[in-house]
Amino acid sequence: MTHKRLIDLLWLLLVALTLAGSYLGETTEPGLAITLIIALTVAIKGRIIVDHFMELKTANRMIRNLMRAYFYVLPLVIVLTTLFGDWLARLTTL
Amino acid sequence: MLLTATRSEQDPAEGRIPGNKGIWAGILSEMTEFALLFGVYFIARAHFPEDFRAGPLQLSLFAGTLNTILMISGSYFVANAVIAMRQNRPEISLRWLILVLLAACGYFVTKYFEFRWNVDHGVTGRTGIFFTVYYYLTFTHMVHVLWGIIGLLWVMARTRTGAYSPQDHEGMEAFASYWHATDLVWLIIFPLLYLLH
Repeated sequence: MTHKRLIDLLWLLLVALTLAGSYLGETTEPGLAITLIIALTVAIKGRIIVDHFMELKTANRMIRNLMRAYFYVLPLVIVLTTLFGDWLARLTTL
Repeated sequence: MLLTATRSEQDPAEGRIPGNKGIWAGILSEMTEFALLFGVYFIARAHFPEDFRAGPLQLSLFAGTLNTILMISGSYFVANAVIAMRQNRPEISLRWLILVLLAACGYFVTKYFEFRWNVDHGVTGRTGIFFTVYYYLTFTHMVHVLWGIIGLLWVMARTRTGAYSPQDHEGMEAFASYWHATDLVWLIIFPLLYLLH
């Protein structure tokens, strides 16, 4: 598969993930399961853009690791702040 | 059939820095700036869970989804512009860049109608903490898209005048990297503001 063909397919996948996410957001009740799905979707979309659209998969290691880390940490924070919101509120109360 | 992309003469070399070091200093600064703003979002959400549960339901999910598709597509178009330039097809590259511009204009038109829709439904920056965070995040992102459009016009002019070649199109790659970063930020803003409730 050529690089061009790969990003064609990944573009379609990103659009499909976006539409599926909106459908879920509209039709499902809030809860931990939907939060996990949203966090996972953020991680997958971010990794696709970083690795293939930005072409960092084979690029400078430090830049690649920093950009990839963003999409490990942020989805994790989404889940943790949903689970431990009260703790975060107490921690950040002056 | 191979399941992963095969490398060709036009593909970038391993270990390289796409664009240049300067643009990556800018991109990492942008990502840090938004990391701080996301931190504000998470802290505000922890303190006012009811506001953040009700807030997204008052926004136009259609506008948010449309803007996400426009940002993703803009990223896809600019990736194609770089590929066309590597294949020594500057006219095709310019056409992809025009599509990027159309996607960016579509983003601003959608935002205009979304903000008008908000006002019609009684939503302003003073409606509550969720909407203060919503306007702060989306306006900051809009400013970054605006900087991107200025860069895009410059890259389009350079492409039109034949300033880039398959061997040297560093400026176009630097712009592409910035545009992808702006797309990445939106891919986080969208679920935080429109989907999580």
